[in-house]
Amino acid sequence: MLATVVRLTRDLDAAQDAVQEAFAAAVPAWRANGVPANPGAWLTTTARRKAVSARRHVSALESRLPLLVVDEPGPTDPFPDDRLRLLFTCCHPALDLAARVALTLNVVCGLPTADIGRIFLVPDSTMAARVTRAKRKIRAAGIPYRVPAPDEIPERLPSVLATVYLFFVQGHTPPRGEELTAAGVTARALDLSRVLAALLPDEPEVVGLLALLLLTEARRPARVDTAGAPVLLADQDRARWDRRLIAEGLALVRPEPRGPYAIQAAIAAVHALAPQAADTDWTAIVRLYDDLLAVHPSPVAALARTMAYAEVAGPSAGLAAVDLLAADSRLAGYHVLPAARADLLRRLGRSVESAQEYARAAELAGNAAERAYLLARAAEHGYGSPPRLT
Amino acid sequence: MKYMLMLFEPETDWEAHPDELRASLAEHDAFSKWLKERGITEVGGEALRGPSTATTLRKVGDEMVVTDGPFAELKEHLGGYYIIDAKDLDEAIEAARRCPTGTVTEIRPIWDMTDYT
Repeated sequence: MLATVVRLTRDLDAAQDAVQEAFAAAVPAWRANGVPANPGAWLTTTARRKAVSARRHVSALESRLPLLVVDEPGPTDPFPDDRLRLLFTCCHPALDLAARVALTLNVVCGLPTADIGRIFLVPDSTMAARVTRAKRKIRAAGIPYRVPAPDEIPERLPSVLATVYLFFVQGHTPPRGEELTAAGVTARALDLSRVLAALLPDEPEVVGLLALLLLTEARRPARVDTAGAPVLLADQDRARWDRRLIAEGLALVRPEPRGPYAIQAAIAAVHALAPQAADTDWTAIVRLYDDLLAVHPSPVAALARTMAYAEVAGPSAGLAAVDLLAADSRLAGYHVLPAARADLLRRLGRSVESAQEYARAAELAGNAAERAYLLARAAEHGYGSPPRLT
Repeated sequence: MKYMLMLFEPETDWEAHPDELRASLAEHDAFSKWLKERGITEVGGEALRGPSTATTLRKVGDEMVVTDGPFAELKEHLGGYYIIDAKDLDEAIEAARRCPTGTVTEIRPIWDMTDYT
Protein backbone atom coordinates (compact mmCIF):
# COMPACT_ATOMS: atom_id res chain seq x y z
CA MET A 1 0.00 0.00 0.00
CA LEU A 2 2.82 2.37 0.95
CA ALA A 3 4.57 1.62 -2.32
CA THR A 4 1.46 2.62 -4.27
CA VAL A 5 1.03 5.84 -2.34
CA VAL A 6 4.71 6.77 -2.75
CA ARG A 7 4.28 6.73 -6.48
CA LEU A 8 1.60 9.33 -6.05
CA THR A 9 3.31 11.55 -3.45
CA ARG A 10 6.87 10.97 -4.64
CA ASP A 11 7.88 11.55 -1.03
CA LEU A 12 8.43 8.76 1.51
CA ASP A 13 7.51 10.82 4.57
CA ALA A 14 4.31 12.17 3.06
CA ALA A 15 3.29 8.66 1.94
CA GLN A 16 3.93 7.20 5.40
CA ASP A 17 1.86 9.94 7.02
CA ALA A 18 -1.00 9.35 4.60
CA VAL A 19 -1.01 5.60 5.24
CA GLN A 20 -1.04 6.18 9.00
CA GLU A 21 -3.95 8.60 8.67
CA ALA A 22 -5.85 6.07 6.58
CA PHE A 23 -5.53 3.46 9.33
CA ALA A 24 -6.65 6.01 11.93
CA ALA A 25 -9.67 6.90 9.78
CA ALA A 26 -10.60 3.23 9.29
CA VAL A 27 -11.55 2.63 12.93
CA PRO A 28 -14.47 5.13 13.18
CA ALA A 29 -15.52 4.61 9.55
CA TRP A 30 -15.70 0.82 9.76
CA ARG A 31 -17.41 1.00 13.17
CA ALA A 32 -20.10 3.25 11.67
CA ASN A 33 -20.55 1.54 8.29
CA GLY A 34 -19.19 -1.93 8.79
CA VAL A 35 -15.94 -3.37 7.45
CA PRO A 36 -15.76 -2.91 3.64
CA ALA A 37 -15.64 -5.94 1.33
CA ASN A 38 -12.00 -5.24 0.47
CA PRO A 39 -10.34 -3.54 3.48
CA GLY A 40 -6.95 -3.31 1.75
CA ALA A 41 -8.39 -1.44 -1.23
CA TRP A 42 -10.35 0.84 1.10
CA LEU A 43 -7.17 1.72 3.01
CA THR A 44 -5.15 2.32 -0.16
CA THR A 45 -7.83 4.56 -1.65
CA THR A 46 -8.16 6.51 1.60
CA ALA A 47 -4.38 6.87 1.93
CA ARG A 48 -4.15 8.14 -1.64
CA ARG A 49 -6.92 10.66 -0.92
CA LYS A 50 -5.17 11.76 2.29
CA ALA A 51 -1.90 12.13 0.42
CA VAL A 52 -3.52 14.28 -2.27
CA SER A 53 -5.19 16.57 0.24
CA ALA A 54 -1.98 16.79 2.31
CA ARG A 55 -0.11 17.84 -0.79
CA ARG A 56 -2.58 20.66 -1.41
CA HIS A 57 -1.91 21.96 2.07
CA VAL A 58 1.87 22.01 2.07
CA SER A 59 3.46 25.40 1.64
CA ALA A 60 4.37 26.65 -1.79
CA LEU A 61 8.02 26.37 -0.80
CA GLU A 62 7.84 22.72 0.17
CA SER A 63 5.78 21.67 -2.80
CA ARG A 64 8.54 22.91 -5.06
CA LEU A 65 11.35 21.10 -3.28
CA PRO A 66 12.76 18.42 -5.52
CA LEU A 67 10.89 15.20 -4.80
CA LEU A 68 11.64 11.59 -5.54
CA VAL A 69 12.20 11.20 -9.23
CA VAL A 70 9.47 8.98 -10.62
CA ASP A 71 9.30 7.43 -14.05
CA GLU A 72 5.96 7.67 -15.74
CA PRO A 73 4.01 4.59 -14.62
CA GLY A 74 3.25 2.17 -17.42
CA PRO A 75 -0.36 1.23 -18.14
CA THR A 76 -0.01 -2.24 -16.61
CA ASP A 77 2.26 -1.46 -13.67
CA PRO A 78 1.15 -3.96 -11.05
CA PHE A 79 1.51 -3.53 -7.30
CA PRO A 80 4.55 -5.83 -6.87
CA ASP A 81 6.53 -3.59 -9.19
CA ASP A 82 5.89 -0.66 -6.85
CA ARG A 83 7.32 -2.63 -3.94
CA LEU A 84 10.36 -3.54 -6.01
CA ARG A 85 10.93 0.10 -6.93
CA LEU A 86 10.76 1.02 -3.27
CA LEU A 87 13.28 -1.71 -2.41
CA PHE A 88 15.74 -0.62 -5.09
CA THR A 89 15.41 3.01 -3.99
CA CYS A 90 16.00 2.16 -0.32
CA CYS A 91 18.96 -0.06 -1.24
CA HIS A 92 20.62 2.40 -3.62
CA PRO A 93 24.43 2.05 -3.46
CA ALA A 94 24.72 5.82 -2.96
CA LEU A 95 23.28 5.27 0.53
CA ASP A 96 25.38 4.03 3.43
CA LEU A 97 24.82 0.27 4.04
CA ALA A 98 23.56 0.73 7.61
CA ALA A 99 21.18 3.44 6.39
CA ARG A 100 19.94 1.15 3.60
CA VAL A 101 18.94 -1.55 6.06
CA ALA A 102 17.27 0.94 8.39
CA LEU A 103 15.43 2.61 5.54
CA THR A 104 14.29 -0.69 4.04
CA LEU A 105 12.95 -1.89 7.39
CA ASN A 106 11.18 1.40 7.93
CA VAL A 107 9.78 2.01 4.47
CA VAL A 108 9.39 -1.45 2.90
CA CYS A 109 8.64 -3.47 6.07
CA GLY A 110 6.85 -0.70 7.96
CA LEU A 111 8.91 -1.13 11.13
CA PRO A 112 8.94 1.93 13.45
CA THR A 113 12.39 3.45 14.01
CA ALA A 114 12.23 2.53 17.73
CA ASP A 115 11.96 -1.18 16.80
CA ILE A 116 14.79 -0.88 14.27
CA GLY A 117 16.87 0.81 16.97
CA ARG A 118 16.26 -2.18 19.24
CA ILE A 119 17.45 -4.58 16.53
CA PHE A 120 20.66 -2.62 16.00
CA LEU A 121 21.05 -1.73 19.69
CA VAL A 122 21.07 2.01 19.14
CA PRO A 123 18.71 4.58 20.69
CA ASP A 124 15.51 5.44 18.81
CA SER A 125 16.72 9.03 18.33
CA THR A 126 19.89 7.79 16.59
CA MET A 127 17.93 5.45 14.32
CA ALA A 128 15.30 8.10 13.55
CA ALA A 129 18.09 10.53 12.60
CA ARG A 130 19.71 7.90 10.37
CA VAL A 131 16.44 7.22 8.53
CA THR A 132 15.68 10.93 8.18
CA ARG A 133 19.15 11.59 6.78
CA ALA A 134 18.77 8.81 4.23
CA LYS A 135 15.33 10.07 3.12
CA ARG A 136 16.74 13.57 2.75
CA LYS A 137 19.58 12.30 0.60
CA ILE A 138 17.17 10.38 -1.64
CA ARG A 139 15.29 13.60 -2.24
CA ALA A 140 18.14 16.10 -2.45
CA ALA A 141 20.51 13.95 -4.50
CA GLY A 142 17.78 12.80 -6.89
CA ILE A 143 18.00 9.06 -6.23
CA PRO A 144 15.39 7.74 -8.67
CA TYR A 145 12.33 5.74 -7.70
CA ARG A 146 12.51 3.01 -10.31
CA VAL A 147 13.44 -0.58 -10.97
CA PRO A 148 16.83 -0.67 -12.70
CA ALA A 149 16.89 -1.76 -16.35
CA PRO A 150 17.81 -5.43 -16.91
CA ASP A 151 21.39 -4.53 -17.86
CA GLU A 152 21.79 -2.56 -14.61
CA ILE A 153 20.46 -5.38 -12.39
CA PRO A 154 23.82 -7.19 -12.01
CA GLU A 155 25.34 -4.00 -10.62
CA ARG A 156 22.41 -2.96 -8.42
CA LEU A 157 21.29 -6.32 -7.06
CA PRO A 158 24.26 -6.99 -4.72
CA SER A 159 23.33 -3.91 -2.71
CA VAL A 160 19.76 -5.18 -2.22
CA LEU A 161 20.94 -8.71 -1.38
CA ALA A 162 23.54 -7.39 1.08
CA THR A 163 20.81 -5.39 2.81
CA VAL A 164 18.54 -8.42 3.25
CA TYR A 165 21.49 -10.59 4.30
CA LEU A 166 22.74 -8.07 6.88
CA PHE A 167 19.21 -7.81 8.27
CA PHE A 168 19.05 -11.60 8.67
CA VAL A 169 22.50 -11.87 10.26
CA GLN A 170 21.51 -9.20 12.75
CA GLY A 171 18.84 -11.60 14.02
CA HIS A 172 20.81 -14.82 13.51
CA THR A 173 23.69 -13.79 15.78
CA PRO A 174 23.26 -10.31 17.25
CA PRO A 175 26.76 -8.76 17.43
CA ARG A 176 26.12 -7.66 21.01
CA GLY A 177 23.56 -8.34 23.68
CA GLU A 178 22.53 -11.34 25.74
CA GLU A 179 20.50 -13.64 23.48
CA LEU A 180 22.14 -15.70 20.77
CA THR A 181 19.30 -15.29 18.29
CA ALA A 182 16.44 -12.88 17.73
CA ALA A 183 13.68 -14.98 16.16
CA GLY A 184 11.40 -12.10 15.13
CA VAL A 185 14.22 -10.46 13.19
CA THR A 186 15.19 -13.53 11.16
CA ALA A 187 11.53 -14.20 10.36
CA ARG A 188 11.10 -10.71 8.95
CA ALA A 189 14.33 -10.97 6.97
CA LEU A 190 13.09 -14.26 5.57
CA ASP A 191 9.80 -12.60 4.57
CA LEU A 192 11.69 -9.88 2.74
CA SER A 193 13.86 -12.46 0.99
CA ARG A 194 10.72 -14.37 -0.07
CA VAL A 195 9.18 -11.19 -1.49
CA LEU A 196 12.37 -10.51 -3.43
CA ALA A 197 12.45 -14.06 -4.81
CA ALA A 198 8.79 -13.77 -5.83
CA LEU A 199 9.55 -10.52 -7.67
CA LEU A 200 12.82 -11.62 -9.32
CA PRO A 201 12.44 -15.41 -9.67
CA ASP A 202 14.96 -15.65 -12.53
CA GLU A 203 17.90 -14.12 -10.65
CA PRO A 204 20.06 -17.01 -9.35
CA GLU A 205 21.51 -14.93 -6.51
CA VAL A 206 18.07 -13.83 -5.30
CA VAL A 207 16.94 -17.46 -5.18
CA GLY A 208 20.33 -18.45 -3.71
CA LEU A 209 19.98 -15.94 -0.89
CA LEU A 210 16.50 -17.22 -0.04
CA ALA A 211 17.77 -20.82 -0.03
CA LEU A 212 20.70 -19.84 2.21
CA LEU A 213 18.45 -18.03 4.69
CA LEU A 214 15.90 -20.90 4.76
CA LEU A 215 18.54 -23.56 5.37
CA THR A 216 20.23 -21.43 8.04
CA GLU A 217 16.97 -20.53 9.76
CA ALA A 218 16.02 -24.24 9.78
CA ARG A 219 18.88 -24.91 12.21
CA ARG A 220 17.83 -22.19 14.66
CA PRO A 221 15.83 -24.43 17.06
CA ALA A 222 18.94 -26.59 17.58
CA ARG A 223 21.48 -23.78 17.87
CA VAL A 224 20.72 -23.00 21.51
CA ASP A 225 20.33 -25.44 24.42
CA THR A 226 17.75 -25.10 27.19
CA ALA A 227 20.17 -22.90 29.17
CA GLY A 228 20.51 -20.50 26.22
CA ALA A 229 24.07 -21.58 25.43
CA PRO A 230 25.16 -22.04 21.79
CA VAL A 231 25.38 -25.58 20.37
CA LEU A 232 27.97 -26.09 17.62
CA LEU A 233 26.81 -27.49 14.28
CA ALA A 234 28.54 -30.82 14.98
CA ASP A 235 26.75 -31.22 18.33
CA GLN A 236 23.28 -30.11 17.25
CA ASP A 237 20.30 -32.42 17.65
CA ARG A 238 19.34 -32.66 14.00
CA ALA A 239 15.86 -33.91 14.90
CA ARG A 240 15.20 -30.34 16.03
CA TRP A 241 16.00 -28.86 12.62
CA ASP A 242 12.94 -27.45 10.88
CA ARG A 243 12.23 -30.00 8.12
CA ARG A 244 9.70 -27.76 6.38
CA LEU A 245 12.24 -24.94 5.96
CA ILE A 246 14.90 -27.43 4.85
CA ALA A 247 12.61 -28.86 2.16
CA GLU A 248 11.74 -25.36 0.95
CA GLY A 249 15.43 -24.39 0.90
CA LEU A 250 16.70 -27.56 -0.77
CA ALA A 251 14.18 -27.13 -3.58
CA LEU A 252 15.84 -23.80 -4.39
CA VAL A 253 19.45 -25.04 -4.47
CA ARG A 254 20.67 -25.38 -8.06
CA PRO A 255 23.56 -27.50 -9.31
CA GLU A 256 26.73 -25.63 -10.31
CA PRO A 257 26.06 -22.45 -8.34
CA ARG A 258 28.13 -19.45 -9.41
CA GLY A 259 27.26 -16.48 -7.20
CA PRO A 260 28.36 -16.12 -3.56
CA TYR A 261 24.87 -16.56 -2.06
CA ALA A 262 23.99 -19.55 -4.23
CA ILE A 263 27.32 -21.20 -3.33
CA GLN A 264 26.76 -20.61 0.40
CA ALA A 265 23.27 -22.08 -0.01
CA ALA A 266 24.85 -25.17 -1.59
CA ILE A 267 27.19 -25.47 1.42
CA ALA A 268 24.24 -25.20 3.80
CA ALA A 269 22.48 -27.87 1.71
CA VAL A 270 25.37 -30.33 2.20
CA HIS A 271 24.96 -29.91 5.98
CA ALA A 272 21.18 -30.23 5.72
CA LEU A 273 21.49 -33.50 3.77
CA ALA A 274 23.75 -35.18 6.36
CA PRO A 275 21.60 -37.24 8.79
CA GLN A 276 24.38 -36.96 11.41
CA ALA A 277 27.40 -34.65 11.65
CA ALA A 278 29.68 -37.62 10.93
CA ASP A 279 27.89 -38.16 7.58
CA THR A 280 28.84 -34.69 6.29
CA ASP A 281 30.46 -34.65 2.84
CA TRP A 282 33.37 -32.39 3.82
CA THR A 283 35.15 -32.88 0.48
CA ALA A 284 32.14 -31.34 -1.28
CA ILE A 285 32.13 -28.48 1.23
CA VAL A 286 35.84 -27.73 0.72
CA ARG A 287 35.25 -27.67 -3.04
CA LEU A 288 32.32 -25.28 -2.64
CA TYR A 289 34.39 -22.97 -0.42
CA ASP A 290 37.06 -22.96 -3.14
CA ASP A 291 34.36 -21.84 -5.60
CA LEU A 292 33.22 -19.20 -3.12
CA LEU A 293 36.74 -17.85 -2.59
CA ALA A 294 37.22 -17.66 -6.35
CA VAL A 295 34.22 -15.36 -6.84
CA HIS A 296 34.20 -13.62 -3.47
CA PRO A 297 37.55 -13.74 -1.63
CA SER A 298 37.08 -12.95 2.05
CA PRO A 299 39.21 -13.87 5.07
CA VAL A 300 36.14 -15.13 6.94
CA ALA A 301 35.27 -17.54 4.10
CA ALA A 302 38.92 -18.60 3.94
CA LEU A 303 38.78 -19.46 7.65
CA ALA A 304 35.59 -21.47 7.16
CA ARG A 305 37.23 -23.33 4.28
CA THR A 306 40.19 -24.17 6.50
CA MET A 307 37.90 -25.64 9.18
CA ALA A 308 36.22 -27.81 6.54
CA TYR A 309 39.66 -28.81 5.27
CA ALA A 310 40.62 -29.89 8.82
CA GLU A 311 37.71 -32.34 8.71
CA VAL A 312 39.15 -33.89 5.54
CA ALA A 313 42.90 -33.69 6.27
CA GLY A 314 42.94 -33.89 10.06
CA PRO A 315 43.45 -31.34 12.86
CA SER A 316 47.22 -31.09 12.43
CA ALA A 317 47.02 -30.05 8.77
CA GLY A 318 44.03 -27.85 9.68
CA LEU A 319 46.00 -26.03 12.36
CA ALA A 320 48.86 -25.33 9.95
CA ALA A 321 46.35 -23.87 7.48
CA VAL A 322 44.67 -21.72 10.16
CA ASP A 323 48.05 -20.39 11.26
CA LEU A 324 48.74 -19.28 7.70
CA LEU A 325 45.52 -17.24 7.81
CA ALA A 326 46.30 -15.74 11.22
CA ALA A 327 48.76 -13.38 9.51
CA ASP A 328 45.80 -11.64 7.77
CA SER A 329 45.29 -8.41 9.71
CA ARG A 330 41.61 -8.35 8.70
CA LEU A 331 41.03 -11.33 10.98
CA ALA A 332 42.63 -9.62 14.00
CA GLY A 333 39.90 -9.16 16.58
CA TYR A 334 37.64 -11.80 14.96
CA HIS A 335 36.79 -14.20 17.78
CA VAL A 336 36.21 -17.19 15.48
CA LEU A 337 39.94 -17.37 14.64
CA PRO A 338 41.15 -18.20 18.20
CA ALA A 339 38.02 -20.35 18.69
CA ALA A 340 38.98 -22.37 15.59
CA ARG A 341 42.57 -22.76 16.84
CA ALA A 342 41.27 -23.77 20.27
CA ASP A 343 39.09 -26.49 18.75
CA LEU A 344 41.94 -27.91 16.66
CA LEU A 345 44.42 -27.77 19.58
CA ARG A 346 41.86 -29.58 21.75
CA ARG A 347 41.56 -32.35 19.17
CA LEU A 348 45.35 -32.61 19.11
CA GLY A 349 45.37 -33.07 22.90
CA ARG A 350 47.17 -29.76 23.49
CA SER A 351 44.71 -28.76 26.20
CA VAL A 352 46.63 -25.93 27.90
CA GLU A 353 47.12 -24.03 24.62
CA SER A 354 43.53 -24.84 23.69
CA ALA A 355 42.22 -23.29 26.92
CA GLN A 356 44.30 -20.17 26.32
CA GLU A 357 42.80 -19.80 22.84
CA TYR A 358 39.24 -20.30 24.15
CA ALA A 359 39.87 -17.56 26.70
CA ARG A 360 41.23 -15.26 24.01
CA ALA A 361 38.17 -15.94 21.82
CA ALA A 362 35.86 -15.19 24.77
CA GLU A 363 37.59 -11.85 25.27
CA LEU A 364 36.87 -10.91 21.63
CA ALA A 365 33.28 -12.20 21.40
CA GLY A 366 30.65 -9.46 21.62
CA ASN A 367 27.63 -11.73 22.04
CA ALA A 368 27.12 -12.73 25.69
CA ALA A 369 25.88 -16.27 24.95
CA GLU A 370 28.89 -16.95 22.71
CA ARG A 371 31.23 -15.48 25.32
CA ALA A 372 29.80 -17.67 28.09
CA TYR A 373 30.17 -20.75 25.89
CA LEU A 374 33.83 -19.97 25.12
CA LEU A 375 34.61 -19.28 28.79
CA ALA A 376 33.05 -22.61 29.74
CA ARG A 377 35.29 -24.39 27.20
CA ALA A 378 38.31 -22.54 28.64
CA ALA A 379 37.30 -23.51 32.18
CA GLU A 380 37.01 -27.19 31.22
CA HIS A 381 40.76 -27.13 30.98
CA GLY A 382 41.24 -25.16 34.20
CA TYR A 383 41.82 -21.78 32.61
CA GLY A 384 40.29 -18.49 33.64
CA SER A 385 37.47 -17.80 36.04
CA PRO A 386 34.57 -20.27 36.20
CA PRO A 387 31.73 -19.17 33.94
CA ARG A 388 28.44 -18.16 35.46
CA LEU A 389 25.75 -19.93 33.53
CA THR A 390 22.41 -19.19 35.06
CA MET B 1 18.54 18.09 -12.01
CA LYS B 2 21.97 19.70 -11.99
CA TYR B 3 25.01 17.97 -10.56
CA MET B 4 28.64 18.96 -10.12
CA LEU B 5 31.23 16.31 -10.88
CA MET B 6 34.36 17.14 -8.93
CA LEU B 7 37.46 15.50 -10.37
CA PHE B 8 40.25 14.77 -7.92
CA GLU B 9 43.75 13.83 -9.01
CA PRO B 10 47.33 13.71 -7.70
CA GLU B 11 49.25 16.91 -8.44
CA THR B 12 50.72 16.70 -11.93
CA ASP B 13 52.97 19.18 -13.72
CA TRP B 14 50.94 19.04 -16.93
CA GLU B 15 53.00 21.74 -18.68
CA ALA B 16 56.12 19.57 -18.41
CA HIS B 17 54.24 16.78 -20.23
CA PRO B 18 52.51 18.43 -23.21
CA ASP B 19 51.77 15.09 -24.92
CA GLU B 20 49.94 13.74 -21.90
CA LEU B 21 48.09 17.02 -21.55
CA ARG B 22 46.92 16.81 -25.19
CA ALA B 23 45.87 13.18 -24.70
CA SER B 24 43.91 14.14 -21.58
CA LEU B 25 42.19 17.01 -23.39
CA ALA B 26 41.21 14.63 -26.17
CA GLU B 27 39.60 12.33 -23.56
CA HIS B 28 37.64 15.26 -22.17
CA ASP B 29 36.51 16.22 -25.68
CA ALA B 30 35.30 12.67 -26.20
CA PHE B 31 33.44 12.84 -22.87
CA SER B 32 31.70 16.08 -23.91
CA LYS B 33 30.69 14.42 -27.14
CA TRP B 34 29.33 11.41 -25.26
CA LEU B 35 27.27 13.68 -22.97
CA LYS B 36 25.71 15.31 -26.02
CA GLU B 37 24.87 11.95 -27.63
CA ARG B 38 23.44 10.69 -24.32
CA GLY B 39 21.20 13.76 -24.09
CA ILE B 40 22.81 15.09 -20.90
CA THR B 41 23.38 18.85 -21.00
CA GLU B 42 26.88 20.01 -20.15
CA VAL B 43 26.17 23.23 -18.26
CA GLY B 44 29.83 24.01 -17.71
CA GLY B 45 33.20 22.67 -16.77
CA GLU B 46 36.74 23.89 -16.28
CA ALA B 47 40.20 22.62 -15.40
CA LEU B 48 41.92 24.20 -12.41
CA ARG B 49 45.58 25.13 -12.01
CA GLY B 50 47.42 23.04 -9.42
CA PRO B 51 47.30 23.51 -5.62
CA SER B 52 50.75 25.17 -5.61
CA THR B 53 49.05 28.14 -7.31
CA ALA B 54 46.28 28.34 -4.73
CA THR B 55 45.73 31.25 -2.36
CA THR B 56 43.61 30.78 0.75
CA LEU B 57 41.89 33.39 2.90
CA ARG B 58 41.17 32.37 6.45
CA LYS B 59 39.07 34.17 9.02
CA VAL B 60 41.20 35.22 12.00
CA GLY B 61 39.09 37.30 14.39
CA ASP B 62 37.31 39.83 12.18
CA GLU B 63 39.96 39.71 9.50
CA MET B 64 40.46 37.54 6.43
CA VAL B 65 44.15 36.66 6.39
CA VAL B 66 45.68 35.77 3.04
CA THR B 67 48.00 32.71 2.92
CA ASP B 68 49.77 30.71 0.25
CA GLY B 69 48.53 27.22 -0.61
CA PRO B 70 45.26 25.26 -0.76
CA PHE B 71 42.63 25.06 1.99
CA ALA B 72 43.60 21.47 2.80
CA GLU B 73 46.75 19.55 1.87
CA LEU B 74 45.53 16.31 0.34
CA LYS B 75 47.14 13.59 -1.73
CA GLU B 76 44.52 14.28 -4.38
CA HIS B 77 43.26 17.74 -5.11
CA LEU B 78 40.38 19.23 -7.06
CA GLY B 79 41.75 19.32 -10.59
CA GLY B 80 38.59 20.34 -12.39
CA TYR B 81 34.84 20.04 -12.53
CA TYR B 82 31.81 19.61 -14.75
CA ILE B 83 28.29 20.77 -14.14
CA ILE B 84 25.78 18.57 -15.92
CA ASP B 85 21.99 18.52 -16.11
CA ALA B 86 20.96 14.87 -15.64
CA LYS B 87 17.63 13.15 -15.13
CA ASP B 88 18.53 11.70 -11.75
CA LEU B 89 21.46 10.44 -9.67
CA ASP B 90 21.71 7.21 -11.68
CA GLU B 91 22.27 9.20 -14.86
CA ALA B 92 24.82 11.40 -13.07
CA ILE B 93 26.64 8.26 -11.86
CA GLU B 94 26.63 6.91 -15.41
CA ALA B 95 28.20 10.18 -16.61
CA ALA B 96 30.75 10.22 -13.78
CA ARG B 97 31.83 6.70 -14.74
CA ARG B 98 32.55 7.90 -18.28
CA CYS B 99 34.26 11.09 -17.14
CA PRO B 100 38.07 11.04 -17.42
CA THR B 101 39.45 11.58 -13.94
CA GLY B 102 42.57 11.08 -11.85
CA THR B 103 41.53 8.90 -8.94
CA VAL B 104 38.30 10.13 -7.40
CA THR B 105 35.09 11.74 -8.66
CA GLU B 106 32.63 13.25 -6.22
CA ILE B 107 29.06 13.97 -7.33
CA ARG B 108 27.15 16.74 -5.59
CA PRO B 109 23.62 17.86 -6.46
CA ILE B 110 23.39 21.58 -7.20
CA TRP B 111 21.00 23.23 -4.78
CA ASP B 112 18.29 25.00 -6.73
CA MET B 113 17.82 28.25 -4.80
CA THR B 114 14.95 29.62 -6.89
CA ASP B 115 12.58 28.29 -4.19
CA TYR B 116 14.08 30.75 -1.72
CA THR B 117 14.15 33.91 -3.81
